Amino acid sequence: MAKKSILLIDDDPIFREAISAVLESEYEIRCAENGTEGLRKVDEARPDLILLDVMMDHLSEGFDVARQLRSDEEKKTIPIIMLTGVDEFYNVRMEVDESWVPCDRYLEKPVAPEILLEQVRDVLA
Amino acid sequence: MSPESRTRFTVIYAPELFERLRWFAQLRWLAVAGLGFGAIISPSLGLTEARSALLLVAIFVAIYNLFFQWRLRAATDYLYENLRSCAIRQMVMDLLALGITVHFTGGLESPLQVFFVFHMAIGTVMIRTSIMYILAASTGLGVFLLYIAEGWGVLAHHAITGSAAGGLDRQLNMWALLLALFMVVYLTDSVMSSFKRHSIKLFDTSAALSERSEELTRLLAEMRELEQRKSHYMKISAHQLRSPLGTIRSSLDVLTSGLVDPSSERGKRLLAGASERVDGLLTIVSALLELTKVREGQAKAPWAQGVSLAQVVTDVVDEMGLHAESRSIRILSRVDPSLVLEWAVPPDLVHAIGNLVHNAIIYSNEGGEVTVIAERRGEQAMVCVRDEGIGIPAGFIDQVFHEFVRTPGGRKQVVEGTGLGLTIVREVVEAHGGTVSVRSIEGEGSEFCALLPLGWAPAEHLQSLQGGNE
Repeated sequence: MAKKSILLIDDDPIFREAISAVLESEYEIRCAENGTEGLRKVDEARPDLILLDVMMDHLSEGFDVARQLRSDEEKKTIPIIMLTGVDEFYNVRMEVDESWVPCDRYLEKPVAPEILLEQVRDVLA
Repeated sequence: MSPESRTRFTVIYAPELFERLRWFAQLRWLAVAGLGFGAIISPSLGLTEARSALLLVAIFVAIYNLFFQWRLRAATDYLYENLRSCAIRQMVMDLLALGITVHFTGGLESPLQVFFVFHMAIGTVMIRTSIMYILAASTGLGVFLLYIAEGWGVLAHHAITGSAAGGLDRQLNMWALLLALFMVVYLTDSVMSSFKRHSIKLFDTSAALSERSEELTRLLAEMRELEQRKSHYMKISAHQLRSPLGTIRSSLDVLTSGLVDPSSERGKRLLAGASERVDGLLTIVSALLELTKVREGQAKAPWAQGVSLAQVVTDVVDEMGLHAESRSIRILSRVDPSLVLEWAVPPDLVHAIGNLVHNAIIYSNEGGEVTVIAERRGEQAMVCVRDEGIGIPAGFIDQVFHEFVRTPGGRKQVVEGTGLGLTIVREVVEAHGGTVSVRSIEGEGSEFCALLPLGWAPAEHLQSLQGGNE
């Protein structure tokens, strides 16, 4: 059986490398360094899960990406895990749209390898 | 009157009443002089028995006036109740003295009766109206009793006759009326001018208060905005520090948990990356400290007088020369040597202008050109740094001076930037009373300018500057 694929969207190359190291034994990892590239990679090949940073080039870039995906009939079922600080998650979400939660769950950065694995396995089960 | 408004009334009017009483006591010496004069001329008016009576009244008035003046001088507090009873006592004594004088100078024909009116006017200025009605009624009753007593022969009637009989009493009436007229004008004017003075003071106070209130409202709004900005700044600073920390933590986690062998190629990359993030954090912390220093340390900053801006710019350009050369970038500078800032913090200026030139170099393409211009614009100096580098996207132009704002192109070109350099520039220039501006076209280059007023002085040096100019 083919490995399930995860798209990791984060602007820090070292962070991408570290996360890849955690997940690549079980999953196929693809990376994007910003929202635009991330959306393009979703178009290229639909991932089974998206790991998404919030603050990249723009303050709420991760939220913009999630909003676009969730408003697209074909892509709105792709699970999203946001990786960010708890306060950032709430603060930025408030600024964007108070009532809207654009992801399936969020994990606080930095996330311990075993917790990340456990959460990813849970979502992809 | 409620107790509070009564207290207010007392506090406001006690000093006023005190002044009036002193003024009235001084005026009373005129009456003493008048009575003395009357005693001297009374025989020529046919008032043979009046002389000694008028003299006695004059002495009586002089004695109680001395007593009241002594009381007023000795008064250390403006206790309103005391002052008021003092005023009532003076008024009663005056009316009594005037009554006796009127009796000896013709009774109901006495020209001095008009001074009863004058006393009512003065009394109403000083004493509560209800008491003045009682005094007016008593005076009326006294005059009526005098009329009855003189008519029935209980009291002798002292008619004014004198040598120019027939005309003299009418003449005296006229003079007394004339004197009373002027005294009423004098009295009214004296009261009104004090009233007008108070009104003007009140108007000024009220205007100043309303101005102050507007000022306070504005300050409060400014403080709220400042507080919000501060909170935003704290939030964003924390993120900027936590983000690399998160990466460092994740890198160390995969290395320590054995997921990645530290000696493998990937392990080395992760370690190097973590080490880079540590350097980045140190740079950010230094920049944050620098920014805090500029923001809070204005009073303690080493302000110097007569700083050559031309020298500062030249020094910065010289210092950056090597760095520019390493990227094959040519720096052209055109500096007006006469530019001198009245007050400046030289190290901060060097830092700020240095940041602009440094940015111009690192965001330029290799082999490009950086132009530094410092020239006079009237009473101000304009320092501009122009490059032919990557430029700034239109959407970022308004934000480049904000903390931690970096353009995507900027991040790519210079990974280790903090996003604080331009904020420091803005803060330093503003601390020197100046403004910053930027023009840029993405892909073609940018021009950052600082407009610095030459004669500007920080608040704490303003006085010495003004003193020096005088």
